[in-house]
Amino acid sequence: MAVYKRGYERYRGRLEGRWRRLLVLPRYTFRRMFRQRHAIVVLVASLAYPLWCAVYIYLAGNADLLDRLGSFRQYLAIDGAFFLRFVSVQKVFAVFIVALTGPGLVSPDLTDNALPLYFSRPLSRADYVVGRLAAPVALLSLATWVPGVLLFLLQCGSAGGGWFAANWRVGVGMVAGFWLWLALCGMVALAGSAYVKLRPVASGLVLGFFFVLGGVAGMVNLVFRGTAGSLLNPSWAVWRLSAAVMGTDGKGGAAIASAPGAAAAAVALAVLLLLLVLVLERKLRPVEVVS
Amino acid sequence: MAGVVEVENLKVVLGRREILRGVSCSLGDEGAGKAVGLLGPNGAGKSTLIRTLLGFHTPSAGRARILGFDCHRETREVRLRIGYMPENDSFIGNVTAVNFLRMFAELSGLPAKVALEKAHETLFHVGLGEARYRELRTYSLGMKQMVKLAQAVVHGPELLILDEPTNGLDPAARQRMLRLVREMKEGQKMNILLCSHLLRDVEQVCDEVVILKDGMVAHGCNLEEERRSNRRFVELEVVGDDGGLGAGLEGIGARGVAEGAGRWRVVLPAGVEVDALWGVLRREGLLVHRLTHRRDTLEEIFLKAMGHIAHTPGEAA
Repeated sequence: MAVYKRGYERYRGRLEGRWRRLLVLPRYTFRRMFRQRHAIVVLVASLAYPLWCAVYIYLAGNADLLDRLGSFRQYLAIDGAFFLRFVSVQKVFAVFIVALTGPGLVSPDLTDNALPLYFSRPLSRADYVVGRLAAPVALLSLATWVPGVLLFLLQCGSAGGGWFAANWRVGVGMVAGFWLWLALCGMVALAGSAYVKLRPVASGLVLGFFFVLGGVAGMVNLVFRGTAGSLLNPSWAVWRLSAAVMGTDGKGGAAIASAPGAAAAAVALAVLLLLLVLVLERKLRPVEVVS
Repeated sequence: MAGVVEVENLKVVLGRREILRGVSCSLGDEGAGKAVGLLGPNGAGKSTLIRTLLGFHTPSAGRARILGFDCHRETREVRLRIGYMPENDSFIGNVTAVNFLRMFAELSGLPAKVALEKAHETLFHVGLGEARYRELRTYSLGMKQMVKLAQAVVHGPELLILDEPTNGLDPAARQRMLRLVREMKEGQKMNILLCSHLLRDVEQVCDEVVILKDGMVAHGCNLEEERRSNRRFVELEVVGDDGGLGAGLEGIGARGVAEGAGRWRVVLPAGVEVDALWGVLRREGLLVHRLTHRRDTLEEIFLKAMGHIAHTPGEAA
């Protein structure tokens, strides 16, 4: 029967379980994000460097070529530093992608006061945040840890089991670093989207968060002639932790030796994430209570 | 039969103010499809009560249960069974009505395919069938109200909570909204909790009312029983010699009080209908100018609960 002839009938059938319901929000968030054509362009552009790295790994694993290079072969070494550089480059792309997609995550719901409708459903605030966060994290994964793991597997296949046994920590450090970065980017995007309704301003806020904090950290280091200011730079903190897990922090020379340790970087990141959670907790409420 | 909403000594503090100060009531009957009106002046705590039932506010004391589930501890179970239409504008501007309803139906647990069907079905039912592929930001105020109702019923809830559903509607749209709400109650056996300032809306839709004042229940009544009891009170105006009317009324078991100039107030006992009264009047040879049943309007009940009048006119009789 045609739908317009049917009339309303109350639904009394089976309901989906909790986990299936939780997947609804990421699905609809993806639709919102894919309306941002610029983000898709940046996502595609972000795959250029992993492709170049794949070629590099192929060349580094090519015995004939290595023989012909002679003493230059040392420059084609694939080690922790190579993957740490890969993490650093892809982190920048992740920031640009999240700056373009992030503003549309929460602000439409806040602008039109839709939160009471969400929270009158079987959906907690944590479910809402996770649901909204899952989509950008999945998108950023395509530019970060997924190509990273593929490159690592490519190198393992190319260099053999011996290389994996000596460098497995590199893979773990890279994935851990990327996941930390994705969590941070996602939370910053959500918080920016929750506070600023204008899309360009929210994008600017996300970019500003990462680049301005980096600048401030540098200034603090210069003014106080120390290295503790680096803890204000989330990018540096993630890099420091990745390097520690990869086991490459001992090879950084005096600069890294005098910088704050991985534990301090972990604490700085934890504090930052906690602040972002508090910001979201304050803003994402079904009703505003004025005391 | 258990109440759909059961509230025991519920207290809610927001900031430093105690908004609900020990509300206790039992509303509706499970499975009966009843509508309960929630009335009260501004600041009485109506919206706070609704939001506490939805789990938005945490009670400082007491408890509230919906369909047997604790509103604070079993929020998810409660929210699976209710539909909520908020008072203020609530929508997502840049999505079509179909996608809007579909998403909320899926969030309420409907399978994706069913959710799409129900979204179309519900939009046609509320009169937005032709506009269902338009973005919500292009809707008029009346259409937004209808789409809010649609999202509240798309998943077929057992309890429908409506906060000022006729706000900003023109008379025709208001009647359509009330008709739809009545249909949900009578046709679909949904329980309805209707919060409104418009007493006529409540009178048209509800079977029971609860009146809140200063965060407490000031009065609760069953409108159907009220209407039934009103039929026992008759106001009469006759022309002619009414000296024997008192005795005549006693003859049929009724009691009457003469107010002078042919005016009488009569109380009919249970089992005695107005026909018997007409018989007495005919025997006494009186000409009837006016015979009306007492009508305590909801407005009178409300004003009495607020302390603005001491008695309703019917009670004075």
